[in-house]
Amino acid sequence: MSADSPTASPPAADFQAEALPHLDAVYRFALRLTGSPERAEDLVQETFLRAFRSWDQYTPGTQCKSWLFTICRNLFLRERERGRRHDELVSENALAEGPGGPLANPVWLSLKETDPEGEFFDSIVDAEVLKAIDALPEEYRTAVVLSDLEGLPYQEIAEMMDVPVGTVKSRLFRGRRKLQKVLYRYAVEMGYIPAGAAEE
Amino acid sequence: MSLLHVLRRFFRDSPPEHAPDHAHPEGISCEDALRLVHDFLDGELEDTSGANVKAHFEQCQRCYPFLRLEESFRLALRKAARGETTPPDLRDRVLNVLEEAAADH
Repeated sequence: MSADSPTASPPAADFQAEALPHLDAVYRFALRLTGSPERAEDLVQETFLRAFRSWDQYTPGTQCKSWLFTICRNLFLRERERGRRHDELVSENALAEGPGGPLANPVWLSLKETDPEGEFFDSIVDAEVLKAIDALPEEYRTAVVLSDLEGLPYQEIAEMMDVPVGTVKSRLFRGRRKLQKVLYRYAVEMGYIPAGAAEE
Repeated sequence: MSLLHVLRRFFRDSPPEHAPDHAHPEGISCEDALRLVHDFLDGELEDTSGANVKAHFEQCQRCYPFLRLEESFRLALRKAARGETTPPDLRDRVLNVLEEAAADH
């Protein structure tokens, strides 16, 4: 009997129709969470298995992708908890709401004369950008990935991460600033842009 | 020049190219534009306030790079992630796991 034989107790048709189209998105998310293709694949399998088993808890018509992301992240966090201690714990203070930095981005201030369009970003290889994202603390990384890569609204991210919208905005702000600083420094090091005020 | 000095100059002094707030009474201040730039780019603002933010950045040469640089940054993130593709056999692996689970049921 072949694996795709329709008689082999196929998973519920509505689960297949609603959840499976998000496989790529869940994989991309898992990849950013784990930082490794092998671990991401395992996490995706676990996520879909868990989702399938709790399919009766899913409210039809709601955001299926966010629901899968939530399961995926919870599994990841539980796994991480079981294994090593938190690699880079963000202090309670840093996770608090609040501006988290000057209004005028110091990195942009040093670029606004030399590269006001941000063309230096084109010189940075994709792997370096992904490395920088993966190095963010999980709380920031998840917010940045869900907002900037998946385009989810603040409200959905807040529900997923079980925090208020203000906290999501604050994590996005801090995560992006951190990333911008890392990428800026990399570009200066590589000679793509001259060192400016943010380096002083 | 220290960073603090740069920031102080940015907010206190009003160089000639800096669109003064009274130039667009319907619009918003530089400070508000910078504060709202993230909400704007994230599509979280309603039409009217989004249009106000957009108009400010279009008119204010001094603020404009803060929008463009933020946009370029986001584009760079999206471009980097687009290159990542799902392993071709992952879908089958997931389907197999689900079939087993359905059979156990």
